[in-house]
Amino acid sequence: MPRPRADPISRRDFVRSAVAIGGAAAFSACLGRESPDLPTGPDDLASLPERQHAWNAALATDDHGNDVAARHQAVLLFDYAGDGTPTDADREQVERALRSLERAYPRDHEGLLFTVGYSPAYFDRYDEPLPDSVDLPAPEALAPFEDPEPDTADVVVHLASDYGSVVLGAEEALRGEVETLNGVDVAASVAGVLARVDRRTGFVGDGLPADHQDVQGVPDSEPVDEDAPLYMGFKSGFSKNQAPEDSVTIEDGPFAGGTTQHVSQLHLNLDQWYEQDDRYHRVATMFCPAHAEEGLVEGAGDNLGNTAQMEERGCPAHTERDARESGVVGHSQKSARARAADGNPLILRRDFDSADDDRAQLHFVALQESIADFVETREAMNGTDLGGAVGQRQNNGILQYMQVVRRGNYLVPPRSLRALPTPQPA
Amino acid sequence: MKRRHLLASGAAALGLATAGCLGVGGGGSDQSGPSTPARVDDPPQAVYLPTHVEGMQMSGMARDGRLRFALSYSFPHQFWLVTGSRRRTVELREEDSLHLMVSAWDGETGTVLPTSNATISIGRDGESVVEKSLWAMLSQNMGVHLGDNVALPDEGTYDVDLSFGPVEARGAGDLAGALAESASATVQLEYSRSTLEDLSYTPFPDRKGERDAAPPMEMDMVPTGQLPPVEDLPGRLLGEGSSGDATVAALALDEPPAGVEGDGTYLAISARTPYNRYPVPLMALSATLSRGSETVYDDALASTVHHDLGYHYGAVVDGVETGDEVTITVDAPPQVARHEGYETAFFQMDPVRVTV
Repeated sequence: MPRPRADPISRRDFVRSAVAIGGAAAFSACLGRESPDLPTGPDDLASLPERQHAWNAALATDDHGNDVAARHQAVLLFDYAGDGTPTDADREQVERALRSLERAYPRDHEGLLFTVGYSPAYFDRYDEPLPDSVDLPAPEALAPFEDPEPDTADVVVHLASDYGSVVLGAEEALRGEVETLNGVDVAASVAGVLARVDRRTGFVGDGLPADHQDVQGVPDSEPVDEDAPLYMGFKSGFSKNQAPEDSVTIEDGPFAGGTTQHVSQLHLNLDQWYEQDDRYHRVATMFCPAHAEEGLVEGAGDNLGNTAQMEERGCPAHTERDARESGVVGHSQKSARARAADGNPLILRRDFDSADDDRAQLHFVALQESIADFVETREAMNGTDLGGAVGQRQNNGILQYMQVVRRGNYLVPPRSLRALPTPQPA
Repeated sequence: MKRRHLLASGAAALGLATAGCLGVGGGGSDQSGPSTPARVDDPPQAVYLPTHVEGMQMSGMARDGRLRFALSYSFPHQFWLVTGSRRRTVELREEDSLHLMVSAWDGETGTVLPTSNATISIGRDGESVVEKSLWAMLSQNMGVHLGDNVALPDEGTYDVDLSFGPVEARGAGDLAGALAESASATVQLEYSRSTLEDLSYTPFPDRKGERDAAPPMEMDMVPTGQLPPVEDLPGRLLGEGSSGDATVAALALDEPPAGVEGDGTYLAISARTPYNRYPVPLMALSATLSRGSETVYDDALASTVHHDLGYHYGAVVDGVETGDEVTITVDAPPQVARHEGYETAFFQMDPVRVTV
């Protein structure tokens, strides 16, 4: 059950806590609080997109046309429970379980959005390799100053909904803990085929970080503003700073229509950010020195519209010069140096914050056509190439305030291959 | 007299945890008290003697490969952070327990490493209570260190897991290739308020605000981080000047040290604090070398750590001849965090010109 409290807690606080705790009882309690009045999913599942990761059309958009992430999210990690390679019966059971979720909830931000992905460790059980059209290396450290634990679970399920009870319900249905979901019979679960080995929960959206700032990593002064969608106080995911879904989609081979997914877990340490740094420094290191100098960012940054104003202000091109002359470089500025030939970013962020273990965290879920695209973006963000007056972390974007603790790489196949695929499907 | 002189037994070897190793503060005052954010009114825009200095307590030492680490602490301190040419004051918080400091040096050469990734996780009974990346800092009596104020839940014994490196400055000479890897170490932290309150507290009531610096505190087995006097540095001293109250010396070595690519003369710029000769790190420096009407070199200098030069800024140039003019330009002032007495210095930094 949610953490006991002496005082009444807000609905959204209750819901977030329920999602964090999980289980059938939390689901039931959360459902009672939220009482979502949702239609069921489509009768004809053939109407669903072949791209599992095609979420954008199903998300809300804000006044500037930015896609708005679903407010409650979870990443579930499973291992294949059987020996050797999955059987056709296993495959059929997993597919039926996933279809049960699709029948129960509409595929949108109020209903349920999910993807299912498979790790290099999963494909290692097969003799044949993945086709060359899929770039899926084992996870590794992506900066000389980090030492993450590589995730080796076989399967990852990313769940998202504006309703915490939908995220919880989907998880419980997958595990075979509930018989009906949104009034729809759950025809199958993954129980017996997949064993859950980890669950990471969280949230993104105005007010949620402020509600959950009583955690390690955020100072006691409750500095997170009510209008902040993320713990660090600024919005992200400006549409011009996101890769389009088309460009993160694998184009060729048997997994065409799929994508790759990087899931990292980061600790956020924001005592310095909120209690020692000032707004100028926060804007300079999150965005770009020009943004701080010109006062471009109001509040969480809604005033920026649909762009973080990187190229518009010449920020990426000035990174080296800023390291030398301004003594500080921005996170978005550095990252914006990694761009596709068409000028678009290489990765599509689907990240969310977390108060799991009563600790401020970030689960950085990113989609890209190949893991190499993520690695390139992360290397740009590291800024280890920069000379000048910036340190390895100090004044070097937001590296000072985060620790990467886990990394995992996954292939998110097209929907038709989402149930325990072989590496070389016919 | 409340100060306890718990001097280290000289037998303790480098690399062994040595609790209870108290540094002896300069000044010899018997006064003891908490850190007060009393400030000097209208301090000079230069290095100045602060209102007071405090002792520090060595908590332990550790090693990983050739790197050595010492963990020590003092009272929570007011200090200043720098972004570009802007300075901001870090005020004390009620919950801050102590000012935690990591000193890092190369065990083979004794060279102190003033900047690096240095991330700590402070834990007890397997549970982390504080996690943060430390700031590169300059203090008059505590020298160059990586530090921050830290809030601990209560007194007791903690494990401090340190992740250090890579050092962003390149290693040169005997340090070539030695700084590019990350290292880790665990040091115990014994936090007791009575130990903290027994640390020395030395005010400078009559001299505070004067252009001077409190002397480095000597700690057994831990190098202070002072650079050698300019005249003891290797190579040919081309000249020296002052910028923003930092002493800036230009030297020429006949060839680049190991770890520095290129053929030619190695131009080394040693920037140090006045009085205490601490390196001034995290600056952006560039140099112009002119020979008559010809510009021989006009580019950035790279921060570098060398076993004899210590932390400095260097580049390979096409010879340095008598009559050449070297102009050293500060593109960005040192972004290192500063303790009292250093916070107003090293901002208004004019070019230094040296005629060979």
